[in-house]
Parts: sequence; C-alpha cells; structure tokens
Amino acid sequence: MVQYKLMYFPVRGLGEMARLILHYANVPYEDKHISFEEWPNMKTTTPFGQLPILEVDGKPLAQSFAIARFLARKHGLAGKDDWESAQLDAIADFMKDVATECRPYFMALMGRGEGDKDELYNTVFKTSMEKNMPVLEKLLKESGSGFFAKSGVSWVDFYIANFMETFEELGPSVMSAYKDLLKHKETVYALPQLKKYLESRPKTQF
Amino acid sequence: MVQYKLSYFPVRGLGEVSRFIFHYANIPFEDNRIGGDDWQKYKSETPFGQMPVLEADGKVLAQSFAIARYLARKHGLAGKDDWESAQLDSIADLLKDFNTELRPYFGIIMGHSKDNKDEVYKTVFKPTLEKNLPILEKLLKDSGSGFFAKSGVSWVDFHVASYIETLEGLGPDVVANYKEITKHKAKVYALPQLKKYLDSRPKTQF
Repeated sequence: MVQYKLMYFPVRGLGEMARLILHYANVPYEDKHISFEEWPNMKTTTPFGQLPILEVDGKPLAQSFAIARFLARKHGLAGKDDWESAQLDAIADFMKDVATECRPYFMALMGRGEGDKDELYNTVFKTSMEKNMPVLEKLLKESGSGFFAKSGVSWVDFYIANFMETFEELGPSVMSAYKDLLKHKETVYALPQLKKYLESRPKTQF
Repeated sequence: MVQYKLSYFPVRGLGEVSRFIFHYANIPFEDNRIGGDDWQKYKSETPFGQMPVLEADGKVLAQSFAIARYLARKHGLAGKDDWESAQLDSIADLLKDFNTELRPYFGIIMGHSKDNKDEVYKTVFKPTLEKNLPILEKLLKDSGSGFFAKSGVSWVDFHVASYIETLEGLGPDVVANYKEITKHKAKVYALPQLKKYLDSRPKTQF
C-alpha cells in the first residue's frame, strides 16, 4: 500500500484540499504539520522552498494543485473524462487568479503587507468578489449536480468550499450575497465521507 | 477530426504553449489572434472574461494551463505516467508563482505602473530570478533528458522556453549567466517539429 505523507503548515490554506481528498477517499496518510517556527530550517530541503509537499513512498511532489490533481485522478475526484478534468482545472486556475488578485488584502490582514486593510477590503477584496463570485455561481448553475462537475464531487469542490469558509469569515457582509456558493460549501461539508474529519480537525482562520 | 480554434491576444504570453503543442503534434487549428475592439466584443462570451480560450468542436475551455494540459495529454506531451504528469504540473505552477512575483516589474515595462524601474529591478526582479532560475536549472539537471521530464519533451518545456525568451528580451544580461536554462530554450527551439512555425510566427516582446 502506498505510503502518503502530506506536509503543510497547521492551517487549512493550500493543504486542505489534499486532506479532504484523502479523507473523502478513505486513504490513510500522515498529516504532518510543519510549524512556522521550524519551517525556515526545513525550507531548503524541499524541491521549491514551498509547502505543501506530498511524499508518495518517500518521493516528493510539490505545489498544491499538482498534489490535489494527482490524488484526485487516483480516486475518481477529477471528473469523468479528460474534458471534464480540463473544465475543473480551468475553474481551479480561475479561482487561483482570484486569490492572487486578493493577495494584497490578505497580506495586509496578516500584517505582512503594505496598505490599510480596511481600505484594501473595499478596493481589492470586495471588488474582486463582486466581479468573480457570480462567475462561479453561474458555473454551479450550469452544472446542475450541486458540484462544479456535472458528474459529481471533485477536488475543485474541496478547493472552493475551503476558500468560501475563509472568505465568509473575513467578509460576511460581502459573501452573504452569494447564496449558491454558500450552499455549495454546505453541501460539500455535509458529505458523509468528510464528517469524521470535519468534526475532529483543528479550527483555523485560514 | 476535431476542429480546434485557439483565441488569444497577438502575443506569446499564455497562448504560445498551446500554439507550440499544436505545431509540434502537427494538429491543424485556427490561430485566432485578437485584440482591441474584437476582444471587447468577444470578452463577455468567454467563460471567465479572459483569454486564451480553446474551442474544440465548438465546446469551450478556458485557462492557459487547463488548455495546454488537455492538449498535451492527447498528444503524448504530458509525461509518461500520472506521476511524471504531476511533476510537470508542479513545475508549471512554480513558473506561475514566479511570474506572479515578477508582475510588479512587468507592470512597469508594459506601462501599467509608474513605480521606479531600477528600484523594482533591484528589490523584486533580480532577487526573484536568483531564487527561481536555479530551481529550474536543478530540475533540468536531475531530469538528465535535456527536458523537464526524464521521458522527453512536454508542454512545460514549451511554456518555460517561451518565458525565458521573454526574459532574454528584457536585456542581454538578464539570463545570460543561467547556462542550463538558456541551453534548454535553445534545445526546445531547435526541435524540427517547431521549425516551420518558429520561422514564420510574428516576433513579439511578450
């Protein structure tokens, strides 16, 4: 049996979708948390100086989407065929663009970036959400399955639900408008395969 | 036979990787280069208000990496197995992170930003190159094939080579010291399957 070890900070962030995939598929793995304090010492030992890393029988794979897609393909969570997989890839990369756009706000929020967080909330976060969340809601509607792929749940549902969990807490008045996305998050978090993990995992802001 | 149409701005940017795939694999496609008013008219018809967009028998796929990966998988340019595909995915996403870090500098070059070019070169551009290019060079060395995958050429070689072409165009000293990565670009551009396209395509800065 393949030995999986996922290394990431003790937050949800870019590691959570891999955790959700592994729990959903009921695949045992070591969920190794790397503290922010120990990370500088470990950084140079990783392929790209970044986390998350997935070790598969000791061989490392970097980059959150590469990891999620690799695990998802193995466990039927990457769409029913190559075309649907590609559509899911597109949605995930679109969401990554949105996250990149919002970065100045998140950096200011964490005290690691320039600018006033309240100003950036309006000029960056709110603007981005109003432009982009309707696009995601339209995709959900077009799918009709309640998930982003017509064929059912995928790694991209985990990625987006995780983001919505963070965004909802940071900007409840902005996010409350996106009822379909909030409902999608609830649908994902109600999946029976995730119940045990969701009840036991640490609560984190990010 | 599938009817392909790739729509993108008349630059290399995020579209060139897919153009390379089509030409390498000798697949006919409509290379729809659009901008200005034509783009404004087309924009609202695209899934995310962005290009590139691929149409395959009229069905639409957005996002440069989703398109490239989809085409690459169909034509043996996505690694020899899922593990190698995942490694390639991680390298592409590393390059995306690298480009995101360089955006403040490219913004100045392209006239979007009025920040001081020399200042941003010193504080952002040069350190980011010095951090990331050695990582790419180590990956090439570890591969041993002259391409990023041990098994041979892939979509990621096309995307990286085009990016290095852009960096080279910024000045004679920018990547000159990075012998492995400039050798890689030359090797990709010497592929016989790309010759006719490379000889005939428009020359663009980006």
